[in-house]
Amino acid sequence: MSAGNVHLTDQELVLANDGEIAVDRARHLAGCNWCQIRGRELQNAAALFASANGPELPSAGPARTRLRAHLAAVAANPASESAQVTRWYAVLAGTLLAVGMIAVANLNLPVRAHRLEMPSPRLTPGAARAVNRDAVCSVELPKNQVAPADLRRRVLQEYGIAGSDSTRYEVDYLITPALGGADDVRNLWPQPYLSTVWNAHVKDELEDRLRELVCGGHVDLAEAQRDISTNWIAAYKKYFGTDRPVR
Amino acid sequence: MAALPALELAPPAATLEDEVVAHFDLLRAPLLRYLASLGLPIADGEEIVQEVFLALFQHLRRGGGRANLRGWIFRVAHNLGLKRRNRGGGAVSVEWEWLSDPAPDPEQQFFRNESGRRLRAVVRALPEQDRRCLLLRAEGLRYREIGHALAMSLGAVSLSLARSLARIARATER
Repeated sequence: MSAGNVHLTDQELVLANDGEIAVDRARHLAGCNWCQIRGRELQNAAALFASANGPELPSAGPARTRLRAHLAAVAANPASESAQVTRWYAVLAGTLLAVGMIAVANLNLPVRAHRLEMPSPRLTPGAARAVNRDAVCSVELPKNQVAPADLRRRVLQEYGIAGSDSTRYEVDYLITPALGGADDVRNLWPQPYLSTVWNAHVKDELEDRLRELVCGGHVDLAEAQRDISTNWIAAYKKYFGTDRPVR
Repeated sequence: MAALPALELAPPAATLEDEVVAHFDLLRAPLLRYLASLGLPIADGEEIVQEVFLALFQHLRRGGGRANLRGWIFRVAHNLGLKRRNRGGGAVSVEWEWLSDPAPDPEQQFFRNESGRRLRAVVRALPEQDRRCLLLRAEGLRYREIGHALAMSLGAVSLSLARSLARIARATER
């Protein structure tokens, strides 16, 4: 019996549904009553499963509106792309940053050994407003709140990069206002958009996570402020349970 | 041989945002059902779906390819779903009570109840990866898209489906 005369297996019958079988097998199927009956049995089983009711879903309207808003925000903010840099690009950016830092060091400017993915503890120890958890959680602050312009200028001056391209940095709050962080120069630092994997976008994720935990009553506000201001990367690893950004 | 109803492709759109939203309109419900099958609450599924389409936007904006886009979308959703599930303490048991025929004919109520019960029993007993293949196929994905979504070869997908469908056919025959 040649291969062309052997009945199709269930796997071949399944593959035939997407036209994924060889020509000689398709020819056999076209002329084989047994294979066609078996194929219909499998199709009926698939149809029975597919026709079952799925779980009840909420209306798509609000989710669609939310997606539109997110897309508009991302489209208006090229910085968000930094979260998606490839490993190659991250390595290149890291190398360029290292070269840049050596150059800065040689120029004897204020920015020296510390890496800007972490703020200088001396210049940016963090500062919080005198507010409690209820006050923090009762107000929905806009994401990525921008610090006042005069504060941003002072921060860049203090870090010795006042003349640099401002589009390369987000002057970010160390303790986000959404967790009670203050509009204070001690609570701001220039975070590079394209520094390493630990960039501004990753920190935004930590801020969202901490706010959820604080407002959900799982973490004390003071503890969250302390963790994020002491070492935000360590805090990320602690609260996400990972050694690398989750996205 | 007819396949299951295939998912449509999003029509050409004026802007990238419109294109992403068009995909969202077509795929939100299938994605939510798939994420629910991983044991995630619908609210978590909604969050993940938002992330998926933001990732799609970034992917397309960077000039990422459109080949097998549905497979790509389901793969991102699958990975994010598992990540979220693992963060929440690992695998959870999924109830399959919704696996019953819609609007049964009263005269066939008895048989349909019985067939629904058997269907649920078979699906519960399937290995998780077989169940995932079955669900994605039921959502209209082609085998190559399922393979892309679950990082499986075409042969592995078809073998898994053949196994599952044979069990369902055997269990539900009268």
